[in-house]
Amino acid sequence: MNTIAYDAYTIFWRELKRYKKSRSGVLIRLIQPAIWIIVVGNIFSETQPLIQSVGFEGEYIEFMAPGVIILTAIFTSIFGGVNTLWDRRYGFMNKALTSPISRSAIAVGKMSAISLIAALQASLIIGIALAIGVTFPNPLMIIPIMGIVILFSLGFSGISVTLAATAKSQETFWGMINLLGMPLFMLSPALFPLELLPDWLAVIAKLNPVTYTILLVRELMTGVSEGGVPILLSVGVIFAFVIAMVAIASYVFTREVNKPF
Amino acid sequence: MYSIETKSLTKSFGDLVAVNDISFSVEKGEIFGFLGPNGAGKSTTMMIFTTLLKPTNGNALVGGFDVLKNPKQVRENIGFVQQETTVDEYLSGRENLLLQAKLNHIPKNEINQRIDEVLDLIELSDKQDEAVVTYSGGMRKRLDIAGGLLHHPRVLFLDEPTVGLDIQTRRKIWQYIKKIHTQFDMTIFLTTHYMEEADSLCDRIGIIDHGKIQVIDTPKNMKNDLGNEIVSLVIESNSNYDSFLLELKKIEFIKKINEDDSKLTLFTSNGTEVIPQIFQISSELGIKIKSISLTQPTLDDVFISYTGHEIRDDDSKFNRRREHAKMKRLRQ
Repeated sequence: MNTIAYDAYTIFWRELKRYKKSRSGVLIRLIQPAIWIIVVGNIFSETQPLIQSVGFEGEYIEFMAPGVIILTAIFTSIFGGVNTLWDRRYGFMNKALTSPISRSAIAVGKMSAISLIAALQASLIIGIALAIGVTFPNPLMIIPIMGIVILFSLGFSGISVTLAATAKSQETFWGMINLLGMPLFMLSPALFPLELLPDWLAVIAKLNPVTYTILLVRELMTGVSEGGVPILLSVGVIFAFVIAMVAIASYVFTREVNKPF
Repeated sequence: MYSIETKSLTKSFGDLVAVNDISFSVEKGEIFGFLGPNGAGKSTTMMIFTTLLKPTNGNALVGGFDVLKNPKQVRENIGFVQQETTVDEYLSGRENLLLQAKLNHIPKNEINQRIDEVLDLIELSDKQDEAVVTYSGGMRKRLDIAGGLLHHPRVLFLDEPTVGLDIQTRRKIWQYIKKIHTQFDMTIFLTTHYMEEADSLCDRIGIIDHGKIQVIDTPKNMKNDLGNEIVSLVIESNSNYDSFLLELKKIEFIKKINEDDSKLTLFTSNGTEVIPQIFQISSELGIKIKSISLTQPTLDDVFISYTGHEIRDDDSKFNRRREHAKMKRLRQ
């Protein structure tokens, strides 16, 4: 167990080193969520009565800020696995595979690095949100929020690593990511409350782990509970999602990297 | 004591047999080279030895451990330097080695000293803190090789160690490989398609073509076996070609003849006496000789004599198709 943790940390260390050295990447990854929160947040500002109808008193931008924080986490982590493909193409993977470290340690190391990077990106978006006037009734809530973002991103990095390990080409990988990322974001209360969705869409949204994460973050950020979902259920769903994804990713990764690329 | 032992090793991808029933051993402390064109099965064999691929048939012991039953122990005892350079460009040279040290479980208190030792060996100490992106191709390769021997493996695998490097850099890399070999007393298994490389580095060479080992011997013995001189002919063929060949075979000093279109290679023990006889036969049969030359045998000639073709010929025609078919299969 000890060596698995050590090995996972080795990979984690390498991924973070690479992240640190790619400063332009940090900024590029911020552009999309920044556009969402600044542009979309203002475009929909007149929808405040809709939000108020479900018991939310603040500005629209304050309602959707948690959605954008999670959007950042989703996209940073679901893209994060792509370097698995580069590693396989350019030999780092073979280097790791011929060393004594275990295969699942590689997967776990990658996932933890991706989730931390996603959380860092999300925290930058929180910074932008604060700068454009979103307020936290209780600033201390940022700590549990970051905890949730890290956990949630770990689950999504699992999806990413699973897809990257099975995809034989960049095209397949990006295709799958686009197929998954946007719908998972849109089928959630990120932009509008669950209550306003048509029934059949609400049912689908309730099967989506993103929904529970956003409800939880929104409740911690604004203090407004929405849709009658208890905190404990949301926490339970997130944990179950993360455990399942990490397990699937470790299994699939170990199986796939043993095949020739 | 053998460092590598393999019996009836076979690897097929679908109906393509990449490695076809090969058996051989490499002694401890030896530099052993696998020589062959691209797609001959060299890299596939190396991938089996380094536990990256599982053999379809047969077995292999590396450092005394079975690649199928004890892959982890094999990995603890090998260093693998791949054909492509695999160093992380955005990390510094030292950080790359640190990563390699951690991957190979070098005890924490020894890491720094080991890194200093190999940096000194490959003469990169003064560049160690610069990002690898600023390194030349040769420096990257040296760093890659250094990474492979950081944990003092029993067997070091080098896959085409100098491919794509210019000739001076190539010679320099050879020097480093020799230095490593004496300093660490490692068994080195390398693949190459450069004759000169195999000749200058290897104690023994295995010539591999179409997934089969054609011959294993020391470079010196291989060259001696061909006789001491080679006559190369380029002719203009006519209907008497077959009888020309027949007559040539009757000359007593000629050991072997290889045909490659209009080019004939005659392996002989006495070239100076053979040449006048060739002229006599050709004028009798009306065969026009466009050029003739007398040379000492090189490993190139050894290769031709065992495989019937030049190593570069294979690169372009046959194997591109073969590689393509292989990649297609792997992707399905």
